[in-house]
Amino acid sequence: MSDLLLQAAASGIVTGCVYALVALSLVIVYKSTDVVNFAGGELLMLGGYTGLLALIYFELSYPLMFVAVIVAMYVVGAAFERITLSTITGRRYSKKAEADLVPMVVATIGLGYLLKGAVRVVPYTEEVRRLPPLLAGPPVFIGDVILQQQDLAIIAVTIVVMAGLTVFFGFTRTGKALRATSQNPRAAALIGIPVQSMRMIAWGLAAGLAGIAGILLSPKLLMTPDMGNVVMLAFAAAIIGGFSSLVGCVIGGIALGVLQNLVGVLISPQAMAVTPFFMIMMILVLRPQGLFGELAFKKV
Amino acid sequence: MSAILSIRNLTVRFGGLCALNDFSMDVAKGAIHALIGPNGAGKSTVFNCISRFCDPAEGSIEFEGSSVLKRPSHDVIRIGIGRTFQNLELLAGMTVLENVLVGLSRRIPNYLPFGPSPRRSRTEAQAVRDAEDILDQTGLRPYRDHLAGELDFGRQKLLDLARALAGDPQLLLLDEPAAGLRNREISFVDSLLLDLVRKRGVTIILVEHVMQLVMSVADRITVLNFGQKIAEGSPNDIRSDSRVIEAYLGRPSHA
Amino acid sequence: MYGELHWRTFAGIAILLALGVLLPLVLPEYFLYLGNTLMMYAILALGLDLLLGWSGQFAFAHIAFFGIGIYTSALLQIRLGVPFIVGVPIAAMFAGVVGLLIAIPATRLRTVYLALATYAFAECAQWVFRTWDSVTKGSDGLRISPPDIFGYVVGTDRRAFPVMAIILALVLLSLLYLTRSRLGRDLCAIRDSEHVASASGVDVKRTKMVAFVLSAVFAGLAGGTFTLFQSFINPDSVGLAQLILVLTMVVVGGSGSIAGVLVGVLLIGLLPEILRAAPRGLLVWQEFAYGLILVLATMFMPRGLWGVAKTFFARTPKSAPTAAKARQPTS
Repeated sequence: MSDLLLQAAASGIVTGCVYALVALSLVIVYKSTDVVNFAGGELLMLGGYTGLLALIYFELSYPLMFVAVIVAMYVVGAAFERITLSTITGRRYSKKAEADLVPMVVATIGLGYLLKGAVRVVPYTEEVRRLPPLLAGPPVFIGDVILQQQDLAIIAVTIVVMAGLTVFFGFTRTGKALRATSQNPRAAALIGIPVQSMRMIAWGLAAGLAGIAGILLSPKLLMTPDMGNVVMLAFAAAIIGGFSSLVGCVIGGIALGVLQNLVGVLISPQAMAVTPFFMIMMILVLRPQGLFGELAFKKV
Repeated sequence: MSAILSIRNLTVRFGGLCALNDFSMDVAKGAIHALIGPNGAGKSTVFNCISRFCDPAEGSIEFEGSSVLKRPSHDVIRIGIGRTFQNLELLAGMTVLENVLVGLSRRIPNYLPFGPSPRRSRTEAQAVRDAEDILDQTGLRPYRDHLAGELDFGRQKLLDLARALAGDPQLLLLDEPAAGLRNREISFVDSLLLDLVRKRGVTIILVEHVMQLVMSVADRITVLNFGQKIAEGSPNDIRSDSRVIEAYLGRPSHA
Repeated sequence: MYGELHWRTFAGIAILLALGVLLPLVLPEYFLYLGNTLMMYAILALGLDLLLGWSGQFAFAHIAFFGIGIYTSALLQIRLGVPFIVGVPIAAMFAGVVGLLIAIPATRLRTVYLALATYAFAECAQWVFRTWDSVTKGSDGLRISPPDIFGYVVGTDRRAFPVMAIILALVLLSLLYLTRSRLGRDLCAIRDSEHVASASGVDVKRTKMVAFVLSAVFAGLAGGTFTLFQSFINPDSVGLAQLILVLTMVVVGGSGSIAGVLVGVLLIGLLPEILRAAPRGLLVWQEFAYGLILVLATMFMPRGLWGVAKTFFARTPKSAPTAAKARQPTS
């Protein structure tokens, strides 16, 4: 039994990494623009299919495919922010800043549906596809735990991405500007940071992250236009982590991945599906700031 | 002099910042009491504590002998304290009349909202009449069916006041009622306030920067700076108080 | 948002009822099925608007209450033989009770967390419908027999149509009165400024809960009407797709206004039909169309189509009548 649990935990860590990436995508958008991106899952799905297109149709090498997907997704995210979101915020018809949030969030819901619908229309997606993995070959044994090579790839890429983002946010000018914008947009504007561009960059970055998650996840899952439903797991991960920091996302993602698998082994496979939703409700009700977040002060 | 409102040792902290520090103030019944001070001095914080939008770390607030701090924010008008807002929080999507009707809300008796009934018709008709009276008093009757968000600034301020008056308060907290108004409008507000006090016995606490209004109507002035009371007295006292002058006076009305 | 209902409103309701009786005599069965579906969505959308448009609470649990309404009235009929006329109100009340339980924690949450938590609840509900198959028969679905209303057996869409029309008429009337009442004003006040509402004596938390419960009751009622003209129930009818559909109807039509929502229901509800009728079977573009419409609506029509129409007609004197359907606007 404990072997089973260990195996479940190990695979949980792997899927948790993917959730962490998407969670990070959600948190970056939230912290820079206060918007909850309900299209996160569809961006993941689009990333996967773009990767497939790059590999199969354009016959790019795997690393080049990575780059192509990141760039393509960046464009999609940035374009959405430029075209749709800034139109909504540009139109201040109410004093309440929060009043703009609702149309923006609804717009992300629309985006998700739009992307899903667009992908579904393409006849190529009617059949269930699979993206070739980054690392293929015989499974690897770590103690009694079996991991696929792709699983190791997922963990490795996630570590690289997290490290890269830590450097980006901590040491580059743009990264620091992004952090400043998310903490205090007005102050950032006063210093001379172009807040509009920062939002666009945040969205592009977030979309790119989701795209990477898509490339990592697609070899493990069957690819369909409905793949985006995993976004709820990312939301749960983000909420567990407190919707605020890189560390939170990683811990939240891994915690959720492991928890979900344990539920599957200990309770039932059906219960696995409801775990993220249950977690979301429980945490938001009992401890809304998650593990690492802060309770916001009510602004009067 | 009987104090209608007694604030004692009020201390409010937001995170690491101390917005109010050991603040005490008595407001006499039937007076116009002004609360002045530079921006960020903590004046709105005092109001927000009375309205129960924020919780003080220490201190007490008593209105007509009973504690305000024990009450939820929607009870504040029920015990007789009304207020306007510095940021002009209007119900922008509703008309002028509807804004005042909302202000009347606590005075409208219950009735079943889903269908017709004689009680409903009567109650609503009375409410509309009461609301129109208030619009007459504040000169907003011509704008009855205009959307609140579309009024010009001066009239929006009057609407905020009308909405507060609709609750029939005995103590009225006015948060910068004259800010941004033209001289003509300020005089109107001036006479409106004096009317309220003399004819209806309303007590008023006024947070204001526009010295013209403060000096002409206030009976007593309390001065705040960095969350602490630095002076209190009649307008003449304050005018010549060196601490106040040092803190920020020396700049008469702008606008 | 005050005053008595205009005679034109009553005329509109009367026209609705007349159409309810007359249309089944002339229209083919399929159009009546469409009509029934649209009327059900109207009740659902109006309930969602109560939460979203009137009180400004961004909550997505709505579809769960719809499901609760469907399954409760269906199970009452199948297991306990409770007739439609009793079962549906019970189902609606039960949805309201669950709504109350959800409202207690939900009203403490801020906008985006509210959206997430209620969406999670909706997914949980659908999971329950799917997994609790001893009761709901899960994905296999429940089959229900035609309701019998005092001898009037509702076996077909043709026979269900007038009943739907009556139910919708009652819903419209109660909402029209609600909008012109103190409670209605309090609800809308909360949306515009919780501070003003509070300072005016409105118990914001309690009023938010009232909005939640009312919204859930309407969703439950809509669920009850589902059993009127559908004979097969399964969990796929109460998922994300339906939620997005209703949300699109509200957003595109015009949140915050009864007439706006009805316009939205009509247009968005008929969209699949329009796509179906188009030359090359554009039905597969349905999702894309909804997504695109939602995005465009949020960008260019913040107050929905009805808002656009109102701005357009605002140049004309106030007594100008509204849309041809004589469905009255709120204020």
